[in-house]
Amino acid sequence: MALLPPEEGWYFKKVAKDEKMWITLALVVCLILFFWMVVWHIYGKQNPSFTTYRTTPQEFNALATAFMEKYKTGEMNGIPVVEPPPNSDVFLVAKMWRWEPVLVLKKGQEYRFHISSLDLLHGFSLQPVNMNFMVYPGYDYVLTFKPTSAGEFAIVCNEFCGIGHHMMIGKIIVKE
Amino acid sequence: MEEKKKTPFLQLILDDFMLLLFLGVTIYAVFYLIWGLIELAWLSPIPSELKQSLIGGK
Amino acid sequence: MFRTCDITGLKVDLNAEKLIKLNAVMAVVSLLIGVIGALLLVLTRWQVVHLLPVDWYYRVLTLHGLNALIFWIVFFEIAGLYFGSTIVLNSRMSSSKFGWLAFILMVLGFLLVNFTILTGKADVLMTSYAPLQAHPLYYLGVILFAVGALIGVFLFFANLLIARKERTYGDSLPLFTFGLVAAAIIATLTLATGAIIYIPTLLWSLGIIKSIDAGVYKLVWWGLGHSSQQINVTAMIAVWYLGAFLAVGGTSINEKVSRFAFVFYVIGINVASAHHLLVDPGPSPAWKVFNTSYIMYIAVLASMIHAFAVPSAVESAQRRRGFTKGLFDWLKNAPWGNPAFSAVLLSIIIFGFIGGVTGVVNGMEQTNIIVHNTLSIPGHFKGTVVGGTTLAFMGATYYLIPLVFRKRISFFGLAKLQPWVFGIGIAILAVSMYILGAFGVPRRHYDITFSGGPFTYTFNPATDFFWVLFAIGGIMAVIGALMWILIVVVSVFFGAPLRGPQDMQLQIASPPPPAKEEHGFEAPGTLTLTLLFMGVFLIFLLLNWGWLAAMWEVR
Repeated sequence: MALLPPEEGWYFKKVAKDEKMWITLALVVCLILFFWMVVWHIYGKQNPSFTTYRTTPQEFNALATAFMEKYKTGEMNGIPVVEPPPNSDVFLVAKMWRWEPVLVLKKGQEYRFHISSLDLLHGFSLQPVNMNFMVYPGYDYVLTFKPTSAGEFAIVCNEFCGIGHHMMIGKIIVKE
Repeated sequence: MEEKKKTPFLQLILDDFMLLLFLGVTIYAVFYLIWGLIELAWLSPIPSELKQSLIGGK
Repeated sequence: MFRTCDITGLKVDLNAEKLIKLNAVMAVVSLLIGVIGALLLVLTRWQVVHLLPVDWYYRVLTLHGLNALIFWIVFFEIAGLYFGSTIVLNSRMSSSKFGWLAFILMVLGFLLVNFTILTGKADVLMTSYAPLQAHPLYYLGVILFAVGALIGVFLFFANLLIARKERTYGDSLPLFTFGLVAAAIIATLTLATGAIIYIPTLLWSLGIIKSIDAGVYKLVWWGLGHSSQQINVTAMIAVWYLGAFLAVGGTSINEKVSRFAFVFYVIGINVASAHHLLVDPGPSPAWKVFNTSYIMYIAVLASMIHAFAVPSAVESAQRRRGFTKGLFDWLKNAPWGNPAFSAVLLSIIIFGFIGGVTGVVNGMEQTNIIVHNTLSIPGHFKGTVVGGTTLAFMGATYYLIPLVFRKRISFFGLAKLQPWVFGIGIAILAVSMYILGAFGVPRRHYDITFSGGPFTYTFNPATDFFWVLFAIGGIMAVIGALMWILIVVVSVFFGAPLRGPQDMQLQIASPPPPAKEEHGFEAPGTLTLTLLFMGVFLIFLLLNWGWLAAMWEVR
């Protein structure tokens, strides 16, 4: 009984056939789930990255500013528009309350994003693709992206970062 | 003669809640906390070649 | 010192009983605050109304999180721990003095936290991620509450040691109490982690420590944050077994299996806190995959074991009573008019099909990319801790009122409806939130039209429909919760006293006749239901991996 102590010899009671069947099935599924994650790291194309570097807001800001100057092609609503070459290091800055720069990329090409924050935690939420990553101050998160669709994409901040949190929205443009 | 069945080892573990407390706390502390904190402590800074290419001189 | 219950025959330590009542009352007060907050939040996120201004939205969100997720549940669990380690074991409270100390600390913490939040000094949300910083009194309040709860947990173990020494229960603890042991073990490491993270954070807010590393904070915090939810899962399952026992006299068809499942929780469930860091910089994929899975799947296996063991406890008892026709005669003839029973059954269904299915997929390292920080996350945990744990606790209270408070349940007709109103409301809310998140709608966000931002983005127009569903489900759940609070408060403070077994409105089932010879399949109905669950889970799993594969490549 749940409230009363178990019956004598409870440890030796045979497990019923249906319960045994279910537990076996559940165990197999659980093992498959574990190995699936490992296998996806080898054959799958979407994986959280292996690479993080330590940095500081000052250092990251300096690197990002230099990057933006190098590849800047214009401005949009006061935010630099930057078109980096494929296979290069791209710097994306999160700060209260905007994303810098606006990036112009090419579909089917790889870009090594370095994402970091100058102040609080922020959330990188790429819409409408719906890919979500965290952005930290003091940590450079290196995510190598390959856009597989073209068009205009929004970067929504989805980690609470103060009263202006909902105004924090960036842009990525992917050309064919 | 009545033979008293010896309590199996695993049942003794089930019945020993202080041992379970120790196992629960230790496994979590080692695999989640300590391993995780070590990984954070061992992160390296941004590679100097990358830094050079941007601000070390054009 | 003791009274003998004229309904269950158990010896009731009067000190334990008093402490149980006090903690239960605080639990209900906390839930009321949480529920009022919930209503305000539903009417704000649904931007057709957009009720609160921006600063109050985040303030109420913090208030709702602390009261609904922490205070309501922990006060209730402390009451449950005292119950399971004294009354259930025909034993006594080890120290009434420490019980009072624990209670006073928890109440002080509750007051400090709520006061600092309401005065705008802690607009940091429940997670309070550094470098976000609250007023020192907020952190002090959390620490006091956690210390009080930890004392309560230690009292639980002390009670068990006394009961073991004085041999009040034989060799093995009753299954209900054994489940609470698992919960208490998790609570110990949870609260210890809380001390490890909140004490330095308090010192930082006082200026004594210069800075807190954001990565270290989040890693350690979730050791407290998610583990606390695992306490809730474990306690919920203990309540499921309790409910099955009281309502139909059902008990686990194999104690060894159920107990090992609880042990698997103790071993494997706490490292799953890693699933909050799957898309974070810092820890390696090896740490992420190992912690979110290898050991976690021991715990997922445990959940699946209980998913079979609890319904089969009901089915087995019912079949022995003669309800053997077909696959579901046992379920059709179950005491659905007993609100404790219906609450527990609804809790099992909602927790499994909504909470569990979404939880495992969210917690896989790669599919987490789809859901992290979207509205899918709170959608998931409405299914687990609200539709699961809270609903089960509500059900248990329908027995608590007559047995511990010795009152008849007022508005009994309403009580029979209440689990359905709350359960169905939460189910609708949880599912609509999850779907909104799948469209990319963020959680913890004041305005998804991004007014004031440099650009704008419009979510898929299909979301308009799901926002309406969100509002309907949310309001229905609030009504269901308020119904419960009304019934409980009126019964406890103004209800007709319970004079004896003749006044019991809920049956305590007598044990069913013993099973005839076993022919292998003890619970075919349950097996059908669990296989159905597995099917739903696998379909949902495959859909998500398919969606992931269609996204941009990333590594």
